[in-house]
Parts: sequence; structure tokens; C-alpha cells
Amino acid sequence: MAASRTTRRALALAGQYAGLIAFAIFTCFPFVWALAVGLSTDPSNIWLFPRSFWPTEPGLMWFERVFTEMPFLAYLKNSTLMSFWTIVAVVVISVLAGYPLARLKFPGRNLIFVAIIATLMLPSEVNIIPNFITLKHLGLLDSYTGAIIPNFAGAFGIFLMKQAFEQIPQDLIDAARVDGATELQILWRVMVPVSAPSIAALSIFTLVNAWNDYLWPSIVMTTRDKLPLAVGVFNDLTGPFAVSTSLVMAAIVLTVLPVLIFFAFTQRYFISGLDGAVK
Amino acid sequence: MKNSSSYTAIAYLFLAPALILMGIFTFWPVGYNTYLAFNNYSIADGTATWNNFEHFKYIAQEELFHNALKNSLLYLLVVPVIQIAALVVAKLVNNKLPGMTFFRAAYYIPVITAISIAGVVWANVYKYDGMLTWLMQALHLVPQGHEGQIDWLGNPDIALYMVMLFTFWKGIGYYMVLYLAGLQAIPAEVEEAAILDGANAWDRFWKITVPMVKPTILLCTLLSTIAAIRAFQEIIVLTRGQADTYTALYYVYDQAFRNYNFGRGAAAGLVVTFFCLILSAIQFRFFGEKK
Repeated sequence: MAASRTTRRALALAGQYAGLIAFAIFTCFPFVWALAVGLSTDPSNIWLFPRSFWPTEPGLMWFERVFTEMPFLAYLKNSTLMSFWTIVAVVVISVLAGYPLARLKFPGRNLIFVAIIATLMLPSEVNIIPNFITLKHLGLLDSYTGAIIPNFAGAFGIFLMKQAFEQIPQDLIDAARVDGATELQILWRVMVPVSAPSIAALSIFTLVNAWNDYLWPSIVMTTRDKLPLAVGVFNDLTGPFAVSTSLVMAAIVLTVLPVLIFFAFTQRYFISGLDGAVK
Repeated sequence: MKNSSSYTAIAYLFLAPALILMGIFTFWPVGYNTYLAFNNYSIADGTATWNNFEHFKYIAQEELFHNALKNSLLYLLVVPVIQIAALVVAKLVNNKLPGMTFFRAAYYIPVITAISIAGVVWANVYKYDGMLTWLMQALHLVPQGHEGQIDWLGNPDIALYMVMLFTFWKGIGYYMVLYLAGLQAIPAEVEEAAILDGANAWDRFWKITVPMVKPTILLCTLLSTIAAIRAFQEIIVLTRGQADTYTALYYVYDQAFRNYNFGRGAAAGLVVTFFCLILSAIQFRFFGEKK
């Protein structure tokens, strides 16, 4: 009796792990294959499965060629710059907007909040036509600013900061007010330090979104050397460089790698960040 | 103590950057897109001439747009599949067993990969002599050799479903994390009590887990429905609309940035917006009934 229960539990556990592993294979196989193909200096096996999941004559040749045959470093620099300024703008704007929505009473507060949240229901892709025309009038087509400015203010960041600021005890704010602090000082010295985890989560999400943004930069940017990785690498790989699958896969591994390394260090914030957005 | 009118000024001062930027890039486009839908807009000289309902009349009888709309609605099939799978996967990784951090990360990797980059790899998976063909042949689901090779993205009967599989792969980790948050809010005692009462895993899943994460299910379904109606970056990176894979938003993009017919694109965009609002309204009714 006891033995059969132990056996059943062991079987259930094995079944669970089998499911988990099978699903991990499903989500990771494209990257494993890309890595193996990129590492194979001899490309003759890349369409031979499952053989191609193991590198043939491993070497870094294709990875070196990515840097010589594509402006990979220029793309990398562009992605870094654009992501950095997007994070700064999103955090500052969301913190500023989240505070009054969470803690100040003023006429129009509910209306503004509802209007901001309602934008989540609209397909933002429809904005690409008007925004393209607006940027044309502002003379911002084919500029870094034009490629990132529509992402500066959004419902997600404002909502996340509002939620975070609502958790802070009123006593802290009252004490600061009694001491004669201005609202900006309260925000900067009281609210922001206490909400550091939420700000970190917002920064991480913004970084990943900005780093991976494809559609808008691909519409706005035309100069090849100004493109971010997600657009530049895609254009090159589906254009003249598509001739060598090995080179394509090496470039893809190099493009995904920075995000993966970053993700490895910040993994738990992704979960807590989304958690905060749900509640 | 300050009076409330000084808070009003400060509040609006703090909100100003957000409201100005959202005004220009989020709210204004909604109005301007509606205006464009009734005009012929020339990108060359920036002039708009009134065109009445002509764009709507045109797309109302254009087969390409009908197909695009039909494909966008067909895309909704991905919603229940991705939601059920995400909940099941979340349930699996919610167990306190060794290695769960690894599995959660593995499932989240597609989410943090740029859609364009992921698309390039998947285009190779879907090649006629690529990985998927090999898998199908290895499982003896299609004939061996050349006759079993399928052009997954070139065959109009299956191409859209292949794009949907890519959406599933890319998105499941996102919803899994949301469900994980919901599952972790369930007190352990509830489940323990059910085990003591002799409820099996199947009953516990349907009678405890599902009801307790219902708010998350509704939120995720709403997000996933809007995402499905909005699907089109997948189309850009995988098929460019070939093999009957036009979706409504790909039509918008194609009209504007390939045919330079901004007015017609805007009109189609307005139709998509309309669909999104209807679907949101339907699902908000579910939210409302629950409370």
C-alpha cells in the first residue's frame, strides 16, 4: 500500500518533469539550433536533423564574419543609445504622472486616469499612419528621437507607478509636508526611494521593449547606420546576407545574447513587475 | 497646509509631460486617423482632399480586405489554445520542485526575443526542407523524401496556422507569468484541505485552481484577444502577406507604406479599432458580471 503510493508519486513527478522538459524543448529549440549552426564552421550539416543540433567542426568563424560583413557594432550602439534614452524618459514621465494620480486630489483626476487606461483597448498599430505624418511635419523622420519618442509616455508605466505610489503610507507624506517639503521633494525624497523595486521593474520592461522594438523604427528609420539591432539585423538577414544560413544564425545568436545575459540577472524582477501590474 | 487649488496646479504640472506626449502620439492619432479615413492624403505634398465614404465603400467590396478581416477573426483561435496551455504550464512550474527557476526562464525566453529576430529563425524552421518537415517525417506523419516536404509558409491552406503557432510560441511565457502571479495568491491551505477530502488532481484543478484564478483568466483572455486582432508583425517577419496570410492590420500597413494610400489604410484601421472595441466591450461584460 505504502509502496504503491510512493510509486504513484514518483510516476506523477516523472510525468511532470517530462512535461516541463518537453515544453522547454519547444520554447528553446530555435535558439539551440541557431547556436549550433552558428558554431559549425562546416555548414554541410545544418539541414540534417537532428545532427545539426550539434556543431560540426566548432569554431567562431561565422561570429567573426558578423562583425566584418554587417555594421553590427553600429546597430549595437544604436540599440544601446535608443534604449537608454527611452528608459530615462519613460521612468521620469511615469513617475511624475503616477504621483498626482495616486496621491493628489484635483479636478479631472478620474477622467485623466480613465482616458490613459482606455488607450490599452485601442490597437496602437493604427497610430502608425498619423504618427508617421506627425513626425514628417516635425522633421523627425529618420532620426533617433523620432524612432523612440512615441514610446515615452504610455499607460503601462503610468499605471505601474500609480499602483506603487498607492502602497506608500500616508504618514510618510504627511510628515514630509509638515517639514515643509515641496511636492517635488516629497516625490523625489520619499516616494521614489520607497518605490525603487517598481521603478526597477519598469526600467527592465522598458529596456526589453525598446531593445526589441521592430515595427516603428523600421518605418521611421531609413539610414542603415542609424538602425537598431532588431531592425538592422533583420533587414540584412532577409536581404543580401540571407545567402549564408550560418552567418544568419551567428548574427541572431549575437543579437539575442545581450538580452539573455540581462534577463539572467534580472529574472525575478520580470515576474514581480508583472505581478504588480496585475494587482 | 496648502489648499487644494495649489495641488491642482502641481498635479497638472506633473502630468504635463505625459499628457502632452500622449496627446501628440496616442490621442491625436485616434482623431487624425478618423479624419484621414474620409480623405485622400498625399504623402508627397501633405494635402488631404475630402473623399466622403469612398475608402469604406472600396474596402467593403474588396476581397483582399475581406480575407484580411476573416484571417484576423480566425486568429482568435489562438486565444483559447494559448490561455489553456499557459495556465497548465503555470500550474506545473508553480510546484516547489528543483529546477523551476530554469523552466520559467526557458519559457520566458521567446517573450524577450525581438519578434523580427525570432521570425528569422522560425522562417528557417518552416523551410520546405527545414526542421518541421524533418519532425513530421520522423513521426511518419508525412511521406519521406521530397514528396513529404511541405512549404509551410507558402501553402495558403496552412500558412496562417503556422504564423499562429509562432504567436503561440512567442507569447505563452508572458501569460504563464501572469497566471503564476495568480496561482501564488491562492492560499496553500485551500489545496491541502481538498487533498485531505480526497479530491484528485483533475477535480482540484477545475474546482479550486480555475475559479480562484478567474480574474487572471479574464484579464489574460482580454489581453490575448486584443493581441490576436492586432496580429501583424508576425506577418511582416514571416510571410509578408503571401499565401493568404493578410490580416486586417497588415492590410493597413501595406496600404499605407507600400501603396502610399494613407486614407484607405486609415479607413481599414478604423474598422480594426471598431472590432477591438466591440471585443473589449463583450469581455468587460464578463468582468462586470463577476463583481
